[in-house]
Amino acid sequence: MHMANELLSVPVAAGTFAAAGIGLGVVCNRVKQTISTDQLGLMGILGAFVFAAQMINLPLPGLPGTSGHLIGAVLLAILLGPHAGALVVSSIVMVQCLLFQDGGLLALGCNIINMALVPSYLGFALYRLILHQTHDTWRFNLAVMASALITVLAGAILVPMQTALSGVLTLPFSTFAWTMLSVHLVIGLMEGIITVAVLAYVRQIRPDILSHTSESSTAGRGKLLLVTLGMVTLFLSAFVSLYASDRPDGLEWSYAQRPDQPAFESMVQAHEQAKALDTLQSKYTLLPDYARRPVPMGHINTEDATVSAGWTSFAGVVGSLVTMAAVWGTALLIRKKTPNL
Amino acid sequence: MHHAHIDKFAYQDSPIHRLDARAKLAVTLIATLLIVALPRFSPDLAFYTWLGPFVLLVLGRIPIQFVAKHILWALPFILVLALTSLWYDRTETTILFGPFQWHSTMGWLKCLTLTAKFVGSMLALTALICTTRFSDLLMVLQRWHVPEILVIQLGFLYRYIFVLIDKAHHTKQARTLRTLKRLPTKQELRIGAAMIGSVLVQSLDTSTHITQAMQARGFTGQWHSPRQFHIKPADWLFMAIATLYIGLLLHLGSMY
Repeated sequence: MHMANELLSVPVAAGTFAAAGIGLGVVCNRVKQTISTDQLGLMGILGAFVFAAQMINLPLPGLPGTSGHLIGAVLLAILLGPHAGALVVSSIVMVQCLLFQDGGLLALGCNIINMALVPSYLGFALYRLILHQTHDTWRFNLAVMASALITVLAGAILVPMQTALSGVLTLPFSTFAWTMLSVHLVIGLMEGIITVAVLAYVRQIRPDILSHTSESSTAGRGKLLLVTLGMVTLFLSAFVSLYASDRPDGLEWSYAQRPDQPAFESMVQAHEQAKALDTLQSKYTLLPDYARRPVPMGHINTEDATVSAGWTSFAGVVGSLVTMAAVWGTALLIRKKTPNL
Repeated sequence: MHHAHIDKFAYQDSPIHRLDARAKLAVTLIATLLIVALPRFSPDLAFYTWLGPFVLLVLGRIPIQFVAKHILWALPFILVLALTSLWYDRTETTILFGPFQWHSTMGWLKCLTLTAKFVGSMLALTALICTTRFSDLLMVLQRWHVPEILVIQLGFLYRYIFVLIDKAHHTKQARTLRTLKRLPTKQELRIGAAMIGSVLVQSLDTSTHITQAMQARGFTGQWHSPRQFHIKPADWLFMAIATLYIGLLLHLGSMY
């Protein structure tokens, strides 16, 4: 689910980078207020644990021959709380980008939102809402399973939304969204099963680790409900928009346009100022009629593209190749014969 | 997995390694921004972005095979998305490339551009990571007022990833050595979960020991480093060349 730079436009990359930066700033502030110095090591170690746990593949029930591994956002949110969990997963996403080149540098904002902030808060909120001050094992497993599955799906639906806003892909939004949701439904189920199994083991061996997370604070329930509702609304709005109709709404149908009656004339005579405003709006609206702009930024006409290549490109590409070969060759010739590390 | 397998080249010595980490990080960020902003149907322009990072990698004595392997490992996801362009944009066009002519579609142009952009940004990031120590990057983040707690978290994470990956590897190896045949799925799942749970419990114990050791040495939640950054003439030269290169690419991009 790690996004690459090339799936984003500059405004979307910059916007999500800023949003993730602000989000992380708030998270850091909250973590600083709520954790003590001796928990700093714990956070670092648990982040490293997620990397390590990803090495262990588990067989998937009902899907013979397949296996999966833990993602860990919900597990960390349950173990550490949503703030510290979000911070740890953000740091994992940053290390994955910087050291393992998994995800683009400019897409870091998107990846932090999709894989750290949304899963940690939404997952923890759902977990607490479903658990509802009980210690029942069945309910605990259901809470973990549901929160793991829904957070994976919520993160997955954000990817096509961000690429659609960027206008980078030719692939239709609905096709991309359905593909992402179907693939991540399996991944989410797998994540749920693994998280339930791991937490069941921890509950059996070291129940003290989980004891503080099951103590439900009634003071935070209102906030949790709001967070959950807000995020579920965001998720549903993206999901339900796949079924959105491109026909006029009731008001537009009554006075402006009726697709079923081609001869129908608009009942409103727009004045010049209104027309000018309409033109301005349609020129600069990001998503006219809730769809991608037909002429996105950076788009050029087919004819221009046909003639855009040619000899200039040929000379440039060949020149670059020759330069790279020359640099490499010269370096090999003049370099001291010292072995690499 | 050992520490040296990932960023071992950052500990080499070369003119590129000696450059100021702030300059390298800033140039990488700006170059990545430029790559993202390139027009969508410009494979040639996207290809030119390979040149700068390539020169840095060669001057930094980073084996090109190592870089190519890393890029190929990350390529499949972007390639799948790039290839969808072939299906959804079938507007016919003729691509002229010097003496060559190719009757193709706009989808192909887009697919090539997307792939070339991806390789360009991967090269830029690889050049940064392979020539800059992670601890220096953390210091830069601290200088740039990234919240201290996030910097500390990244530092801890970087330090203990390899310790815990080794632990998980040992657990996995122990299980493999004791496995004679595949068990029913339910049992395999239970064993796998127990293995992960056991690594988790070990991690928590390790964190207690580490915290006690750090507190015994006077750790109070503050991150200190004796390392000082100085912008040297070589850094100014690097930034000037990078500005010229990026400016030239921007100029070429504006001609589209």
